[in-house]
Amino acid sequence: MKNPTKWAVPLVFVAAAALLPLAGKALPAIAGDYPLSLARSVFTYMALAVSWDMLLRSGQVSFGIAGFYGIGVYAAALSVLRAGFSPLASILFAGIIAGFIAFLLGFVILRLRAIYFSITTLALGEIFRIILHNGGEFTGGAEGVIIPRIISNNSAVLYWLSLAGVLIAIGMSAWFERSKIRFALTAIRNNELAAKSSGIGIFKYMMIAFVATSFIQGIIGGIQLQGYGVASPSDSFSGDYTLLPLAMALLGGIHSTSGPIIGAILLGVASEFLKLKIPYGHLIVYGFIIVLVILLMPQGLYGLWRNKARARRVSRIDSGQASADAAARAGASKEQPRA
Amino acid sequence: MIVKRSAILWTALGLAVVVAILFWKPTVLVYGMQRAGLYAAVAIPMALVLGIVHIVNLAHGEFMMIAAYLTYFAARLLGLDPWVSLVPVAIVMGGIGFIVYRLTIRRALKAPEINQLILTFGLGIALSQTVNLMFTSQSWKLSLPYVSASATIGETSFGVYDFVFVAAAIVLAAGLRLFLTRTRMGKAALAVGQNPRGAAIVGIDVDKTYAFVFALAIALVGAVGSIFLTKQAIFPGVGGPYTMKSFCLVAMAGVGNIPAILWGSIALGLAESAMNGVRELRNWSSIVFFVIIIATILVRSIRERKA
Amino acid sequence: MPNLVTKSLTKRFGGLVAVNDVSFSLSRGEILGVIGPNGAGKTTFINLVSGIYLPTSGTISFNGRDITKTPAHLRAGMGIARTFQLIHPLENLDVLENVMLGFLFSKRMSQKEARRESEALCESLALGGLHREVSQISMLETKKMEIAHALGNMPEVLFLDEVMAGLNSDEMKEMIALVKQLAKDRNLAVGVVEHVMGVIRELTDRVIVLEAGELIAEGPYAEVSKNPRVVEAYLGGAA
Repeated sequence: MKNPTKWAVPLVFVAAAALLPLAGKALPAIAGDYPLSLARSVFTYMALAVSWDMLLRSGQVSFGIAGFYGIGVYAAALSVLRAGFSPLASILFAGIIAGFIAFLLGFVILRLRAIYFSITTLALGEIFRIILHNGGEFTGGAEGVIIPRIISNNSAVLYWLSLAGVLIAIGMSAWFERSKIRFALTAIRNNELAAKSSGIGIFKYMMIAFVATSFIQGIIGGIQLQGYGVASPSDSFSGDYTLLPLAMALLGGIHSTSGPIIGAILLGVASEFLKLKIPYGHLIVYGFIIVLVILLMPQGLYGLWRNKARARRVSRIDSGQASADAAARAGASKEQPRA
Repeated sequence: MIVKRSAILWTALGLAVVVAILFWKPTVLVYGMQRAGLYAAVAIPMALVLGIVHIVNLAHGEFMMIAAYLTYFAARLLGLDPWVSLVPVAIVMGGIGFIVYRLTIRRALKAPEINQLILTFGLGIALSQTVNLMFTSQSWKLSLPYVSASATIGETSFGVYDFVFVAAAIVLAAGLRLFLTRTRMGKAALAVGQNPRGAAIVGIDVDKTYAFVFALAIALVGAVGSIFLTKQAIFPGVGGPYTMKSFCLVAMAGVGNIPAILWGSIALGLAESAMNGVRELRNWSSIVFFVIIIATILVRSIRERKA
Repeated sequence: MPNLVTKSLTKRFGGLVAVNDVSFSLSRGEILGVIGPNGAGKTTFINLVSGIYLPTSGTISFNGRDITKTPAHLRAGMGIARTFQLIHPLENLDVLENVMLGFLFSKRMSQKEARRESEALCESLALGGLHREVSQISMLETKKMEIAHALGNMPEVLFLDEVMAGLNSDEMKEMIALVKQLAKDRNLAVGVVEHVMGVIRELTDRVIVLEAGELIAEGPYAEVSKNPRVVEAYLGGAA
């Protein structure tokens, strides 16, 4: 039967996150401006990490998170400045535009596999950035555009907005895991031929994953804009928006919703301290984390926990010596899972 | 033969383009070729690793960057001209490549390809950020007297130093070809690249071959890095675009097809240079390689559909 | 009317012709053997039928419908299923989930229905321990799972690609009985690619022989095994 502890992490997180500002009424230390803005930063990267994982489940590594995030930021900003959208409408618009661009691009790039797909996504971010940089008056050129702070400066409001964003990401990821989509993506990831011979339309499901993931990244970009107020080529397409979510999802545990949540909390908080201690090059930690995790612990922290839980479950459901042996082997054999 | 016909067509088209450029802005041709040389020189070692070890090194550009920094320090602290420190730096880079292979790449070879991708991506970040950490993101440059050498043909004058990149590319291409076809180690490498299991059966030490090839590739791209320093400014992130463009060229050319890399580099170099020559298009020149990738993908998948 | 018909089916890879001008037909209720020496093109043939490869020329039709250009996953949905020779059980999905795939996607069932159907199917195949990882089951169980996975598509046509490989003689006996029963119960059109001639003799009604991509003989096993050209193809004779 379904593993009940699977949803423990997301639920605990959501509860804690929802309660945080309320707790602040009693304990200002927890919910002053700084902790709330730190939390917002964690939520942003968390949502991006979750979305990255959703596509990873199909077996494709995207290095283009920053690209769709930046598209979201710009789409929201320009919709406000040039078309008078309301803040919420601009956020939704951001997601839709990002998703739509992914949809169009998908017809071309979803044929690609592995490194070809990944490098293309890496280049996409650059391409989007250059296009917006050269957009002249309309996009504000090299400096970008500034929107008047429409949503109040109230950090609590921004907090709820960020939380809403990460909830959207978590919600969609959970949907991916509970529905048939999980079967399809896992099958595609493992062996496309076997997937095809099960009636799975590979292109269809990869497109679903690609569009959903880009939609989320666009939404997050739109949300961030409300607090930050600026859309610029260098900031909105910063490589940090690809690097950090990747490291977070890896550390926390890929192929899950809970893993990126854990990773984002750990690294998101750590990142704050790192930035203070190491002015230049604090990103080095993420590089090393990625290398170490992929070599030594590819299943991530949550993956380690999950494998132990699975081994226990198997030995409970199937009785008999043979499966007890199998369970023991399960614990040992999960050393090198596929990323 | 159909193959010959299309080759003739392409050559004719290429010549037409070259002539057109000559009439329009001859310097575009010169600078385009020089660019092409640099791109090819950086791409060829990547092709070596891809063809034999079957791994794409997303940290490829970062190794070039590190070599450039080493060369910079050799110049500033030891007073050595980059051309003098080129060989020692290359050797050091080879050592670094060997260590990186042993510590990281070797382990990832048994893992799925996605793991390898993420690994080299992380490596690249780690390398560039280490340099950032140690030396900040400021860009540094050497001012060497000979790099401003120029020539004049008719009314146009242009810098000629950058032809060293073209020379480097040619030396690399030719040298590699000789190595792979004439030397024992090179032939073993080719065998391993085509069929690792078969090579192992015949008694070739596959792991040692991988280590050697990887180290060699890093040494070679390191050498290019030293030359790079003579003309260009360096900063921690300078390698990134070269990784992407190298990959674009290698992917376009197909594994093991070094001549195609040369042709592709020429196309890329000329295209970028041409766009730089037009004021309105100047800001778009860095997208050219992406257009080439997309075009290649589309053409290939259309061909696959028909097959 | 036969359910699966190929006419002059040919597949070329660059200069190599893997399958050359093969025409055959298969109907529900028959078990057809596909034999031939190594490299004769048997697996390519299955890949063409199931849609993994598109033919260079020739046609395939299923129940009267031309499926030559139909993509593989749609063919699975129509009722053409196959097992894989090099076992590729899908990791990260347990045994039950592997079997559920066909029901979920070819037959578009809900997860609940698919689970029910899969559990029943596995029971009928004497396949238990459904929550184990695929890396932990025995060879025989893996073969059963492969067949169950193919049956999840609720096919009319089923191709078994060297499903006996790696089994001992007792296990083979069990598998032969299983295939016979399945074919009868579900009125399947079965194609069996095998190297073990004993299996072919016991299991099949009719046999086609491929050599270097060409169909060189057709008929009941007893006849075909005496055909001098077939014997020569095997260099010294079949079982």
